[in-house]
Amino acid sequence: MATEIGDNAIARRSLVVRDALSLLTISLITGLLFACTLFLFRSFSTHRAELAQRWSDRGRRALLTNRPQEAIADLHAALLYSPATREYELLLAQALGQAGRTEESYNYFLGLHETAPGDGDINLALARLESAKGDRDQAVEYYRAAIYGTWSQGGGVERRAAVRTELARYLIVQHDFQTARLELLIAGGNTSDSYERDMNFGHLFEEAQDLRDAAAYYQKAIATRPDDTQALENAGRVAYALADYTTAHKLLDRAAALRTRERSPQAAADASIARNAERLLELNPSLSLPPGQRVARILTLRAIAKKRLDACTQRTGVQPSAALQAIAARWTGPDATSNAATLLRDPVRQDAALKLAFDTERELESQCGPASGDDALLLRLAQPQKEGAASHG
Amino acid sequence: MDSSFKSALPAATSSIAQHAASIREERLLLLLSIFVGVISGLLVVSFRMAIEWLTVLLQGSLPAPHQARLLEVPAIAGIFIALLVRFVFPAARGSGVNQTKAALYIHNGYISTRTVLGKFLLSAFAIGSGYSLGPEDPSLQIGAGVASLISRRFGLSRARLRLFAPIGAAAGLAAAFNAPISAILFVIEEVIGNWSAAVLGSVVLSAVSAVVVARWFWGAEPMFRIPVVNLVDPRELMAYAVLGVIGGIASLVFTKALGWLRPLLRRQPANWQLLHPPMAGFLVGCIGYFGLPQIMGAGYETIDQAMHGQFALKLLLLLALFKIIATTLSFSSGTPGGMFAPTLFIGAMLGAAVGAFEHIYFPHFSGPIGSYALVGMGVLFAAFLRAPLTSVFMVLEVSGNYSIIIPVILSNTIAYLLSRALQPVPVFEIFTHQDGLYLPSMEERREESNLHLEDAMQPITAPVLQGSDTLPSAAGAYSQYAESPAPAVLVHCTDGLWYAATRAEMAAILTGSAPQSESAPAAPAEPAAGAGPDPNAILEQRLGSERTPVLFPDLPLASALPHFRRWPLLPVTNRAVRGALEGTVSLEDVLKRYQQR
Repeated sequence: MATEIGDNAIARRSLVVRDALSLLTISLITGLLFACTLFLFRSFSTHRAELAQRWSDRGRRALLTNRPQEAIADLHAALLYSPATREYELLLAQALGQAGRTEESYNYFLGLHETAPGDGDINLALARLESAKGDRDQAVEYYRAAIYGTWSQGGGVERRAAVRTELARYLIVQHDFQTARLELLIAGGNTSDSYERDMNFGHLFEEAQDLRDAAAYYQKAIATRPDDTQALENAGRVAYALADYTTAHKLLDRAAALRTRERSPQAAADASIARNAERLLELNPSLSLPPGQRVARILTLRAIAKKRLDACTQRTGVQPSAALQAIAARWTGPDATSNAATLLRDPVRQDAALKLAFDTERELESQCGPASGDDALLLRLAQPQKEGAASHG
Repeated sequence: MDSSFKSALPAATSSIAQHAASIREERLLLLLSIFVGVISGLLVVSFRMAIEWLTVLLQGSLPAPHQARLLEVPAIAGIFIALLVRFVFPAARGSGVNQTKAALYIHNGYISTRTVLGKFLLSAFAIGSGYSLGPEDPSLQIGAGVASLISRRFGLSRARLRLFAPIGAAAGLAAAFNAPISAILFVIEEVIGNWSAAVLGSVVLSAVSAVVVARWFWGAEPMFRIPVVNLVDPRELMAYAVLGVIGGIASLVFTKALGWLRPLLRRQPANWQLLHPPMAGFLVGCIGYFGLPQIMGAGYETIDQAMHGQFALKLLLLLALFKIIATTLSFSSGTPGGMFAPTLFIGAMLGAAVGAFEHIYFPHFSGPIGSYALVGMGVLFAAFLRAPLTSVFMVLEVSGNYSIIIPVILSNTIAYLLSRALQPVPVFEIFTHQDGLYLPSMEERREESNLHLEDAMQPITAPVLQGSDTLPSAAGAYSQYAESPAPAVLVHCTDGLWYAATRAEMAAILTGSAPQSESAPAAPAEPAAGAGPDPNAILEQRLGSERTPVLFPDLPLASALPHFRRWPLLPVTNRAVRGALEGTVSLEDVLKRYQQR
């Protein structure tokens, strides 16, 4: 019995030794296989990386030379050898977009967005695609994600300001001027000072109907380049629209002089607006004028309006409207007949006389066609000041 | 030493040795599963590398139509493949799934090293030179071969050897797919056929080990770059239902084509068969040369492009059609290579086509094309390979997105049911029959309905006596059943259990002429033989301590069989009320029920 138990013990021991040796052998084989596979894999990966680089370079060149179809094939090949390489994927998505395959490009960018939702480039691309598709809310959302996203290529501050400017431009197209103005104000603050920045922002603020900020940027541009005719013209035009005729006249006069020196056809147009501004300054019945001077201007304006009314009503074939008949009736009253002395004594009557002149010009504009000369300037004085200036306040 | 002790000793030591061997094998099984997983993972990584290297080497880094090498390479490679399959690696032909099943059910888990080597080299060569085949099924067989080799080296028992093939198969497939759950499910659905606790732990261990190794090399990214996938509108489900129908029909076409061409080519004389791979390669090359190089090879990058909506509707349909043709030619020619990748390819193209169609005609409620391509892959997997559960999990695992679950289930179910209705025999089973093998049908095995005791249970007709009755009282009660044809009597004991006695046994007990039951305690009140029953004796005391086993209606019918050796009748009781009788079963009832199947 003892022998049998002993044999069993020996058999078990030998089995344990055999198993241990077998496990050691299999571990060694596994290690060896691992080392071989690793070596081959490294070589394989290097070869693939080279192929990917070669194809991506070709794709990039094709993209730069506006051959998107070729770029797509090349970049596909690059991605085949280096899958999920963000740089190639972005290029491919761009190439798809450039080739007019908007939907594919969009899907591609969406896939990329899944993996990197905070990436500035991807969000910007998606914003552009959404704006092309006409989905305003989605586009604005992606623009904002791009603004607050990360910019791995560097220059985050400049890129964010550029995206914000692009968003403002998009909002202007969408007629959302209020939001566009806010974005422009922030973007302007984040962009370094330069003549180009000032001109660009001046123009954008003008488009966003914020004339006061537009004027401020143009003035900065003039401060940088005092003899820049474009800046002078733009600033003059905005000042004119803001009813700042003194500034408008000064700037446009200078612009016209420079244009004349340059022999540019724009000189005549500048001079014409400058003259208008000058004439408006002569006609403007500003409350800041001495009473005598103001009354004189009111009387001049009343006379201009009366002249046009008479001309219009005497024209044959014109059937006066009820509104025009009412205006004509007002011209028989004291507002139309009061003289300078009466007006000087009574400021209320001054305003009533001025109102009669303005109302007459407004009504005649619809009844007798567009005004010209002093009538047009009177009409301009009759109009409320530009929204840009008003809303800003 | 006592002689009986001496004789009992060898039996005892042998039993201890057996027990020790069993424990050793159990432990080794788990440990070796990890080794199988790691080695299979390494081999599958090498296999994939070999395919990609050969693809670049043979087809160029960017195959395009009208490149002469697309015609030349597969045709020339076909000559070598044909010769090697014929003279060096004859067991390497086919996909690898059926071969693994054959190893499990016919060859006791044996797969030769030569087969593994042949499968590795020839499949890589074939796929790399442009044959429309995939690497997953060969990976499955490579894994199974590794497992077979390792288990043989460790001298495991035959039962364990047989278990190892599916363990390795799961590892190989998991590494190839980079999806462990799908691999485990596929092996259970398609190779083993049912959930087996004995092998599940090892299958999971090996699959996970293999995936860890594969991810170490390739990274954790899924096989495909999945775009944003979602269900935009519930009405979209109609389109997914249509996709299910299209998938079912496509799988029928694919199966019929393979079922027709494969035996046709195999009937040719052996020498003629040498021409099949080069001819198939040439024809596949022609498809690539004249405009569709995407159908060559496994086609993963084309699936990726379809998923990102980069093909027009017509091209998608053409790709699906020509992939069916190219795969039928490649596979039927006997070239080693798998069916998984082509199946996924065809499914993705059909899915993307449905998505593209919807985008054109119903743009207001169509989701991304990628969603359709992804679901399409699952659809064809369910319909063609007949692995519905794997198909659902594969889509979820590959996409990593649960939101697509409803379309996946809907489409896959429709495709699977349609495919079953139109083509009752699954494609892998068709191949085994063509090869003259009769492997178990996994589909039938999965759906096998087990019989339960309730299926054979009969109403109570046997006399029922109370164990607490005295013998005279019991005899009185028993006499009332004198005319009953029942062969046995049931006694309800005070502990709630039952005792089933034959008529003769009960008569002897009641008359006091029977010896006590073997297990009954030696009763001092035992009357002398022929002295008649003790009027105060309780019936239960005469039955001893043995009771009929406690059986419930939901137990498997087969569980009753071992008890009929001892008991003439088995009471079936209620699970909620101890001892409450639901019915009885006799051996005759059980056999009759089995014969009715």
